Amino acid sequence: MLPAGSSRCKQTLTMDIELSEISSFIQSIPPFDTLPKPALARLIRELSINYVRKGETLPPKGINDPRLYIVRKGALSCMSSDDELISRLGEGDLCTEFCKQILHIPNDIEQRAPRQIQSDEDCLVYSVHYEVIRDLAEQFPSINDYFSYNSAQRLKQKMSKANEDAVISSSLMNTSVSDFYHSPVVGIDATQSIQQAAIKMTEKGYSCLVVFDNTTSIGIVTDKDIRRRFVAEGLPFTTRVSDIMTQNICTIDIKDSAYDALMTMTAKRIHHLLVTKQGEVVGMVTTTDLMNNEGQNAVNFSSIIKKAKNIDELTKISKLLPKLQVRLAKLGTSSDHIGKSISAITMAFTKRLIEMAEEKYGPAPVPYAWLAAGSQARQEQLAHSDQDNGIIICNSMKPYDDAWFESLAHFVCDGLADCGFIYCPGDIMATNPKWRQPEKVWQKYFDVWVDTPTPQALLNSSVFFDLDTICGDRSLLETVRTNLLKKTTKSSLFIAHLSKNALGLRPPLGFFRDFVLKQNGDHKDTLDLKHNGIAPIVDLARIYALSQGISAVNTIERIKQAAGTAAITKASAENLIDAYEFLGILRVTHQANKLMLGLEPDNYLSPTELSKLEREHLKDAFKVIKTLQDSRQASF
Amino acid sequence: MAIKSLINYLVGYETKRKKLLKKVPKGPLHDFLSVPFPALDTPIDKLPILAVDFETTGLDAKVDKLLSVGFASIDQEQIKLNTSYHQIIKAKTLLEESNVIIHQITDAQKEQGQPLGVVVEKLLKALAGKVMLVHFARIERQFLQQACLELYGFRPDFPMIDTLVVAKRQLDKRDVSYDPSELRLSNLRHQFKLPDHHGHDALNDAVATAELLLAQMANRADSDNVILKDIIL
Repeated sequence: MLPAGSSRCKQTLTMDIELSEISSFIQSIPPFDTLPKPALARLIRELSINYVRKGETLPPKGINDPRLYIVRKGALSCMSSDDELISRLGEGDLCTEFCKQILHIPNDIEQRAPRQIQSDEDCLVYSVHYEVIRDLAEQFPSINDYFSYNSAQRLKQKMSKANEDAVISSSLMNTSVSDFYHSPVVGIDATQSIQQAAIKMTEKGYSCLVVFDNTTSIGIVTDKDIRRRFVAEGLPFTTRVSDIMTQNICTIDIKDSAYDALMTMTAKRIHHLLVTKQGEVVGMVTTTDLMNNEGQNAVNFSSIIKKAKNIDELTKISKLLPKLQVRLAKLGTSSDHIGKSISAITMAFTKRLIEMAEEKYGPAPVPYAWLAAGSQARQEQLAHSDQDNGIIICNSMKPYDDAWFESLAHFVCDGLADCGFIYCPGDIMATNPKWRQPEKVWQKYFDVWVDTPTPQALLNSSVFFDLDTICGDRSLLETVRTNLLKKTTKSSLFIAHLSKNALGLRPPLGFFRDFVLKQNGDHKDTLDLKHNGIAPIVDLARIYALSQGISAVNTIERIKQAAGTAAITKASAENLIDAYEFLGILRVTHQANKLMLGLEPDNYLSPTELSKLEREHLKDAFKVIKTLQDSRQASF
Repeated sequence: MAIKSLINYLVGYETKRKKLLKKVPKGPLHDFLSVPFPALDTPIDKLPILAVDFETTGLDAKVDKLLSVGFASIDQEQIKLNTSYHQIIKAKTLLEESNVIIHQITDAQKEQGQPLGVVVEKLLKALAGKVMLVHFARIERQFLQQACLELYGFRPDFPMIDTLVVAKRQLDKRDVSYDPSELRLSNLRHQFKLPDHHGHDALNDAVATAELLLAQMANRADSDNVILKDIIL
């Protein structure tokens, strides 16, 4: 099957890999990074090298057979038949355009095939005959998968793998001892008295000391030791700590997993382990540490929040929120789950603050509900996000009742700000009288937005189409929502305006070298994950929901419920959810990395943070979004 | 060297080839000489080229030894790696430490090598009817001629293109002074924005030289009608 010349392959296999520079380049490019050495060597030998001058097109002069091209140096632009830039290829990018048909590589969901592939600068291009790729695909599933899926299928595969990983990864396995051990340890010399030990433990607030003989740790002494081996035995105060200490203590390396720590403790029935780093004692880990570590979940959080007595205590608890986000991200939890956990905790904070306010100002004069808008309502919140909220009040309220609600609003919003949820820059907060209104006024707001839509007004109000009751009388919002959805399903003008706004945020085309390639061909240093990836999907989901009368506000829930309706096909809905979850994973991982470095989490991802494969998946996600945006555009 | 290339140009490789062919007995060199060389007016995009690189123990072909040979062909301005060849030569002399460092060829590897005759025969077979492409022609020309003398008793002439000389002629035309180090293979490649090259192995170097020639040809003012005569050594 291999073209002429391959007969020499065997000869080279016995030696070190030939053409080392070209090999190491090819080996860094997916899917060829999965090839074993002999297959890689075979591929290398089948390469041809062409120099393509700036302005020339592919295939290079004199090549007529179907080939796969690999850019070694330089840049190529793929233009559509209407002269629109489809993608730009740089070093290490593959061009399947000329072997696509013969290899049955499926077209991307976006059906535009490039009309022309042209070099933007002088290029060194490697190429290989399609039969070589076909042979490799027959032998290696990884090569086959790469070339036989379109972007949506590749993304789907990636996501099902990610979900599996999340299930497999148990929390303890993935947390290393270094993440939660006590540092530093408090030591005491073996010759000191037990009284001195007790004084030291009280001073430092530790239940355990490490006993040192000079610089060697020879044991530990705990509260329990003092109680059982000293007080109960009635020994004199001058007894040395070494007389009652627990000897032969176990150590664990700082790099070991929490699971290892737990296993050692269980096996030896002990509660303390000394943590060593290159043989030196650097700290201690206790069963309590392990339990606390495990307990840092949303449920646990909510119950501590419920017990908080004042704002100071709430503020302290809120400081743990970024840690929780990091932990969840490290555990491989899906971004959907993280968003729900963080949103649930914000909800717990809000509820507790409302309870405190009601204790302070007395009960509400009339029924009401505290509303969350935007990401909190959608249950997609991450730590350090800003607050968007409002109050809906029973129509029976009297003008003078507002004073109570105003006090409530200030108390809760200030409290949330103390807990790290910054004030909304757009003043979408219950403290703003505009968003602290009786049901009928809220109803009127929505009527105006839907009946006489203007693009600007919709842009400013879109956050209110993601609204949820946090606390209080749910029926108030539900009445408004039911009326709203009745209108939105019928108002094509409203949906058209909303769509037009949503299409303002376009995902980039992909990557070119270490830059983000925008639709107009410009390059950017960073990818704004929120505005160029996540927000466009959130916007699409909102449009689907409002046009189909779906009351859900969570993005995935909205897309799931809209699947199979006139708004979106089942297949597209699945693709969109995959894209959304992939972007979500990148976002929480990126934020976790920032948080661990003690930096503010943001949504700006540098392409250098991404592997070649991640870039491919991202490009696939962009394509899914773009296709659905295009079909939205075509529908009005 | 200038006089020599003038003589070559006047007498002509073809005339010399035919003359020598009559003297050489049947064998690898005879086979090589029986295929005509490309005509001097062959356009570059039709010119069959073999990029060649030798690793040697030193600069003197009479004293030093050929360690390894690497080559790859250029056909219609396309480098074909399926024609590439790399072979270490089994020689009797022990390697000096300094050469082990430069070429990363150890005595043990050299033991697994092929005899000089086998390797030169392979090279001549691949080179028949082609122009030889090298970077800094002295080494390859002298060592190949010396090997032919030892193996077959004759010193044939080879039509060659030297990327160093191609670059030097361009620089001389500009009439500005330049640092000779600019003419090194890796520096010239860098100048044309070709991938970094750190090769010290005959095949990597041969391919690197071939890529350089493609870049040089593409970047000439007369790039669309270069013929062999314009670039031959």
